[in-house]
Amino acid sequence: MIVELNNIHFSYGRVKALDGVTLGLSKGAVGLLGPNGAGKSTLLRLLLGFLPPQKGTGRVLGYDIRLEQPQIRRHVGYMPEDECLIPGMDAVTFTAYFGELSGMPHQEAIKRAHDVLFYVGLGESRYRQLETYSAGMKQRLKLAQAIVHDPKLLFLDEPTSNLDPSGRKEILELITDISSKKDIQVLISSHILTDIESVCSDVVILNKGRLAAQGRISELKRLRFRLYEVRIKGNGQGFIERLRRIGYTVEETEDNLLKVYIPEDQEILQFFQAAEEEKVQVRLFVRSQTSLEDLFAKAVGVD
Amino acid sequence: MTVREKGYIHWDGVLLERRFSWWPITWLGIRLSFKKKYFKFIYFGSFIPALVFLVGIYISERIQDFKYIVRGTPKLLEVNPAYFKAYFAGDFLIFMMVMILVVSGAGLISDDLKGNSLQLYFSRPLEKRHYLFGKGAIVLFFLLLLTLVPGLLFILFKLLFSGSFKFIASYPWLLISVIAYSLIVSLFFSFYALMLSASSKNRRYVSILIFAVYLFSDILSGFFYEYFKKPGFILISLKANLQQVGAFIFKTQPAYAVPWYWSLFIVLAVCFLANFVLLRKVKGVDVIK
Repeated sequence: MIVELNNIHFSYGRVKALDGVTLGLSKGAVGLLGPNGAGKSTLLRLLLGFLPPQKGTGRVLGYDIRLEQPQIRRHVGYMPEDECLIPGMDAVTFTAYFGELSGMPHQEAIKRAHDVLFYVGLGESRYRQLETYSAGMKQRLKLAQAIVHDPKLLFLDEPTSNLDPSGRKEILELITDISSKKDIQVLISSHILTDIESVCSDVVILNKGRLAAQGRISELKRLRFRLYEVRIKGNGQGFIERLRRIGYTVEETEDNLLKVYIPEDQEILQFFQAAEEEKVQVRLFVRSQTSLEDLFAKAVGVD
Repeated sequence: MTVREKGYIHWDGVLLERRFSWWPITWLGIRLSFKKKYFKFIYFGSFIPALVFLVGIYISERIQDFKYIVRGTPKLLEVNPAYFKAYFAGDFLIFMMVMILVVSGAGLISDDLKGNSLQLYFSRPLEKRHYLFGKGAIVLFFLLLLTLVPGLLFILFKLLFSGSFKFIASYPWLLISVIAYSLIVSLFFSFYALMLSASSKNRRYVSILIFAVYLFSDILSGFFYEYFKKPGFILISLKANLQQVGAFIFKTQPAYAVPWYWSLFIVLAVCFLANFVLLRKVKGVDVIK
């Protein structure tokens, strides 16, 4: 296991940020999902060794998150969400600088900076002042500084934010190359679920400081529930309430379509019984392909 | 085939566990300072007094040869602790130190705050104290080069020009005074620059602040001193406090009738205040929003 957390608790005063999170991440790309305030940032802080857990134990790359924080940060790459640069520098100096701070020898860091800047597509503009870079270039630069020291584990926080579609595609290709063809574990925190779906094989979903779901995306989508798209005529609200009481999760879309998540251990028959009792006509009842968005909505609660 | 086409390549080196993890920060800061506009001009201009004082040491040993230049002011060229104090606590040198801070010290932390780059530093195996020390060492390097090195050279050249150890035998404590005052003034200005640099994301604003605080403390002190005729008001002036401490360290008559330890207290208080501000402003944990 690259990351192992066992019953992690962390609170900011009386606010519980993480409440008994237990998870293990193996190799490959993993998406970290959750609504605002779910505990994603706190989890990243813990994994980077900025915060010691108040309860529970954990290891990152085999290092204890309480005791061996500098070793964790030496072998981890971090690409923050915010725009980060140091004014008055060119990309080679910037990238080599953070390589050196990670422990690379000076000359090696400079040589490696050239390599990674070419790799992320900034080769031609590597001597330009960073202030003159576009948003997309700054995003690539952040990736370059995160991989300059060849980390074993890479944390990417919203890696495709502020990018146009082609820039986004290229960054995702780079992440896919790093995570799939090389021996680097990638943990991506993003709100763009399609990005996670296209790059990651596994996902971790946090909600209110607890682990809402974890595992391979394909298995989670298949096993936990069945999704149906439904169109009805009649007393919609009463019917929806009834379905919720049964234990289904119901989401209303803007075009009056209902997305009904039926848990795998429940019968579909109950759906039709409820429709009959509520005197509702079912005009459409189609099994839908579950997307990560559906999984996310189900895990964190659509209401 | 380009690097991009070849895909990601692993680095086959070994990451070092540096004993001085702050060193890359200092080294880069020094190199970048020399790339700044006007820095070279100001910095090398700051060595003019050192050059003049060095020439003075030479002339003092050849006073007979330069009698036509000196014309009855040989006391000025008497190389003694007062001569050293005149260099170290001279108005021009202190002013030039402030100018160095204005050009090279203002952006040390403010640029990182503006560029949001603290999170990149602290995602490395770097602690807050290492970061602050690395930044402070940039200022320390420039100021020690301007104080300690000339001070040691003055002593060395005095010995060389005189051809005897009589000078060092007369003032055996002078070497320690040179080292002590150089460290005090350099540390003070390092703390001063870092504190103000951490106070804003705008480097220009910090530059103005560094100069303005120094200047207004002096003007204000002079105004109150003249108006109330009480020497205690010189404690407001950063420059006067450094000069008072310098007078004590070089065992010369202080310019103002204020105990030297009050001035030292002010100098140390500024350093402690700076430390307090820096620990509050530079936070490693808050880097992930």
